[in-house]
Amino acid sequence: MQPSDPAVEAAPAFRVRYFLRGVAGAFSVPGCVLMATFLGFGGLLHDVGFPIGAGLLSTLLIWALPAQVIMIGGIASGAALPAVAVAVCLSGVRLMPMVVALMPLMRGRRPSLWLELIAAHFVAVTMWVEGFRLLPKVAVEGRPSYAIGLGAGLTAASMIATAAGFYLTGSLPGPLAVALLLLTPISFTILLVRNARERVDWLAIGLGAALAPLVANTPGGLDLFWSGVGGGTLAFFIARLWKADRA
Amino acid sequence: MTLFSSELTAILVVIVVGFLPNEIWRVLGVVLGRGLDENSAWMQWVRAVATALLAAVVARLLLTPSGTLVALPFLLRAGALAAGVAGFLLIRRSVLAGVLTAEAVLVAGAWWLGVGG
Repeated sequence: MQPSDPAVEAAPAFRVRYFLRGVAGAFSVPGCVLMATFLGFGGLLHDVGFPIGAGLLSTLLIWALPAQVIMIGGIASGAALPAVAVAVCLSGVRLMPMVVALMPLMRGRRPSLWLELIAAHFVAVTMWVEGFRLLPKVAVEGRPSYAIGLGAGLTAASMIATAAGFYLTGSLPGPLAVALLLLTPISFTILLVRNARERVDWLAIGLGAALAPLVANTPGGLDLFWSGVGGGTLAFFIARLWKADRA
Repeated sequence: MTLFSSELTAILVVIVVGFLPNEIWRVLGVVLGRGLDENSAWMQWVRAVATALLAAVVARLLLTPSGTLVALPFLLRAGALAAGVAGFLLIRRSVLAGVLTAEAVLVAGAWWLGVGG
């Protein structure tokens, strides 16, 4: 952080005009796909009987669908709350490198810790992809406000979709209700395939999925923890051994 | 089925079990900033664990589904997912194309079997 100069501090770092342009930027194809997946999340909330108010709050505060599904799914299966918190924490690890990589684009000219923390809160997969696409076209001094506007727009749209999914599930005809519930697993799967580049990624996908049924019903509700840490660690070491063999 | 007797309990759970353990990584990302080597062995392991965890979430959603999905056979659920991945890879790596392919297979299958109607 730069030491702040009072004269510079007086000029507003937050600019409404850029914020509004960011909000408008949220309405795009990736924004629509995101809304569709949150429709599915709303359906899931309704299915497990999770209160809608707290569900909407989870979209606003957690703002990471995998973590939200892990939390709701874990609670619904009767897992111990500390175990659910550990699984949520593990799933959130991937957010840190995303924030580190995207921050230089969101920081603007005069770094402000608060604006950075707010902008970082909105970082998730869609924001990460859209940020890299849109932010370079924005003037440097407006980037923090634009990033926050983009994040706020995406979050607002997703909260509307969460509520719509929650209230629609009960009244939808069967095939459409089924389609709504498939949105979460299919979007996660495509996300995994899209981000898989190296052998270790494919190994982690295969081992994590294969271990899931084997460790199901682990006492204490730690099954996600075991398939995540176990599958990921195995994938990491197998990929290393493979590389060492080739070398 | 209702999970929590009061909305307030659910809100507390969302904050303590969901928001805090997740948000800490974003705050760390801001604070640690550039001091982090993306390609260190530690980060590679962390990424592998996060990937495996997400794959496990998908597997669990498929194996022990909720709601109306229960009525559909496992092969149809898994088949729709596979079709979605194929659609994504074949149609210009478009997420939308993949999602629509999977949904089309699932809804057609459900309609064919007469389930969920």
